[in-house]
Amino acid sequence: MTTAFWIITIVTLLGALLAVTLRNLVHCVLSLILFFLGIAGHYFLLRADFFGTVQILIYIGAVAVLILFAIMLTRNVTGEEGPREILGMKWWSGAVIAALVAGVLLHAVRRDATAAVASSAPKPLSVADLGRALVGDWVVPFEGMAVLLTAALIGAVVIALEEVQRRR
Amino acid sequence: MGAFGTGLFKGMAVTARNFIGSYFDRERLVTVQYPEERIQPPENSRTFPFLVYDGTPENMRCVACKICETECPPQCIYIVMDRDEKGKPLQRPKVFDIDISVCMQCQICVEVCPFDAIKMDNDYEKSQYGRFEELVEHLPDLLKSNEYYHRIKPTEAAAVDARLKAEAEKKAKKAATTAKPAPKPATTSQAAAKPPAPPAAQPKPAPAASAVTAGKIVIPEDAPFSAEQRAWLAGFLSSIGVTTSVASVPSTAPAPATVPAAAEQAPVAAETETAAATAETTAATPSDAPWHDPGLSMAQRMELAKDRPLADKLMAAMAQTDCHACGYDCRGYADAIAAGTEKDLTLCLPGESETAAMLEKILKEAGRL
Amino acid sequence: MEAVYHFLRSLRWVGDWPQPVLWALAFAVPIVFVVVVFPLIFAYTTLVERKALGRIQNRLGPNRVGRWGILQPIADGLKLLIKEDIVPAKADRVVHTLAPVIAVIPSLMLFTVIPVGSGLIPVNLNIGLLFVFAISTGSVLALFMGGWASRNKFSLLGAMRSVAQVVSYEVPMVLAAVVVVMAVGSLSTVDIAAAQAGGWANVTNWFVFRPWGFVGLVLFLMGAMAESARTPFDLPEAESEIIAGYHTEYSGFKFALFQLGEYLAAIAMAGVTVTLFLGGYNGPGCELPVVGKLIGMGWFFVKLFAMIAVIIWIRGTWPRIRVDQLMAFAWKLMLPMAIINLIVAALYHYIEPKLLAWVVSAGLLVLSWATLSSLSAPPHLQKRTYRYWA
Repeated sequence: MTTAFWIITIVTLLGALLAVTLRNLVHCVLSLILFFLGIAGHYFLLRADFFGTVQILIYIGAVAVLILFAIMLTRNVTGEEGPREILGMKWWSGAVIAALVAGVLLHAVRRDATAAVASSAPKPLSVADLGRALVGDWVVPFEGMAVLLTAALIGAVVIALEEVQRRR
Repeated sequence: MGAFGTGLFKGMAVTARNFIGSYFDRERLVTVQYPEERIQPPENSRTFPFLVYDGTPENMRCVACKICETECPPQCIYIVMDRDEKGKPLQRPKVFDIDISVCMQCQICVEVCPFDAIKMDNDYEKSQYGRFEELVEHLPDLLKSNEYYHRIKPTEAAAVDARLKAEAEKKAKKAATTAKPAPKPATTSQAAAKPPAPPAAQPKPAPAASAVTAGKIVIPEDAPFSAEQRAWLAGFLSSIGVTTSVASVPSTAPAPATVPAAAEQAPVAAETETAAATAETTAATPSDAPWHDPGLSMAQRMELAKDRPLADKLMAAMAQTDCHACGYDCRGYADAIAAGTEKDLTLCLPGESETAAMLEKILKEAGRL
Repeated sequence: MEAVYHFLRSLRWVGDWPQPVLWALAFAVPIVFVVVVFPLIFAYTTLVERKALGRIQNRLGPNRVGRWGILQPIADGLKLLIKEDIVPAKADRVVHTLAPVIAVIPSLMLFTVIPVGSGLIPVNLNIGLLFVFAISTGSVLALFMGGWASRNKFSLLGAMRSVAQVVSYEVPMVLAAVVVVMAVGSLSTVDIAAAQAGGWANVTNWFVFRPWGFVGLVLFLMGAMAESARTPFDLPEAESEIIAGYHTEYSGFKFALFQLGEYLAAIAMAGVTVTLFLGGYNGPGCELPVVGKLIGMGWFFVKLFAMIAVIIWIRGTWPRIRVDQLMAFAWKLMLPMAIINLIVAALYHYIEPKLLAWVVSAGLLVLSWATLSSLSAPPHLQKRTYRYWA
């Protein structure tokens, strides 16, 4: 199990690193997909089959494909033009944000670590339980997310419609 | 509504019928599985020419007259006449090559052959492993029996056989009449027998179409051509006329109505001018013979040689192929007749009886007969 | 896997072997099964497809290699193996090489969750159906990579078409499958297949005999064909428009891998369709004690081949959907129909005399289909008259 963990971790980190260092946009996205796959692998390791599968379905099947689709419609995919250096002028702001996020996550993990160790063998999460949780205890945030997504969808339609009208 | 999408299922019914039907109805499977199954090509199909022989390959019809070689548009035929040790022509080809990579299957060689010696094959399996020598067919490859011809094209071969038989009979009859002591009736009978001779729709350069004096019809008098070019053009155009109009236009058709007039009414101003100019130029260069073109018709050739000396007129009556079947070239044969060293007037094989009759006529006009 | 293990345990002369060996064997058997049997089915599907298309067009089809062309797939494979592998000069070599590999892997993985018999499934995931959808999206990645890396405008066009098509058709396809999940209450393919047992001769409980099941089957099949780029949704490789689409620049065995991936995806989708709507391995005789499993396996493959035959039949018949109608078909016709189907399936669950429920839901579905199709029907076109008609 630990061997699998380390292999998956290395692959995940490699994917993340490549995604930010490569110059070719498509290569970046493909590395990002590798990273997503690694995350899905971690979910599977934690016996969270549902989350692993959803990770693949949503992040690779939808998010990454949409990114790819957007990239296909852009020019200068290979990154041959434009500035050579990867770190932009505001790299330190990114570093600060990354450090802050990492700090918050580390804090949360450290606080919950005791609980995780206590139930060292997490029981496999059944889909039925998840469904009940989503429409039971967590129904308000769940529906809130749904409303948010619908709003985003309508917003996208509105923006697209404006463009169509302008073109006419 | 309700019809939405039903077309898709109609289509599926059709394909299902095809699928199942193809297992029960052999008629549906139209595929010819070529190496195992072969279908006889249609009688009028053609690929490349072949040479017909009667009985044995030695008895080939070809006399190496080279008309086809001269006429072949892509120049894919190469002929060398066979000769005995003394150099006398044997009236058969020693070499007869057809480069089938060059041949465009136009059938003109068949149209022009006076001996029905070359015909179009329909053998389509001609692929070879090389591009050069392998694609040249030599005499042994080309020779095929008359039986083979009958097998691939029964109707056409039967017609050819019937015509050849008729001609042989006529020749025999003529030989019988000429064998008689009185030569005069023989010539008249021959001249009388001549006009109905050309069978319609046959590949020989028939007089009907050859009467098309193209210079009169197509080329204006003030066109900037020299007499030589004019003659060549006339020959070229008439050769086109031969291949296209012989079959469709009978000799009495109204279309070339102006033509006989042109041929007979010789003293049209332009014509005489042309002829005079020709005479002048040829006087300067006596070897020049504007009629020396097998594409020209007899009438045209005689027109071109009208005001020439006897030897030139005689030469113009030849078939102009320089085939050496007579033992000379065209010039040589004419000179020999003019000089009186050659008495036989029937040696011009490609010119056939037309040349023989014309030679006789010219000699008679000159008072030599 | 467990079934194989228990089967091995039950054998007299194998059962005494040490446990790790038995487990390894139990692992190996399904893997070999997936990696050998289904590609073999693929190989002969190509032959059957070519023969059937030939017969549909009143031709003979391949009949040169072996009797009835039985060795044709092997000849094809050998030919593709010994062909030159060409990578375009300006292509992205790494991605170009990776794409065909990635095309095959998800297609093979799909077979791991398809039960070919009761208890005969390589891996019994409790989220089997979700796994199918997640993995099948992986193939679009391969199509994109192949199309993009080739540096060919036709490849790129094919890739764009395939991405747009797969993303669009996945939505109605998943919604069409959700009705089954609703009825069974589980995402596991084993549970879904088991839920369709019983009834008259193990047949009447197939979901296809419910109104929502039939509509779901049709929608799912259309979505699956779009996902695996089969006619009439073969726009990503429409040869009359964009040469061969994303695999224009592929030759040799890379091309073969693309074909393998595509066919395997189509076969796997046929298998999923069978599992979801056509009762999986259920059929007359599959409940028998000893031979039941084998009979069930036979039924599964019979149904699988029937589905493949239908797909080939459709390919031989229908024209390719027009590119401007592609999106409209997915979003304006299939998606609303799938959602209506979802609601009807819920109604069916709550209306009690099942006969009444059947009639009501069938009526609702027919009504909504008529409405939807009349809404999206093309405008009625007048017969055109020409001014200079001779």
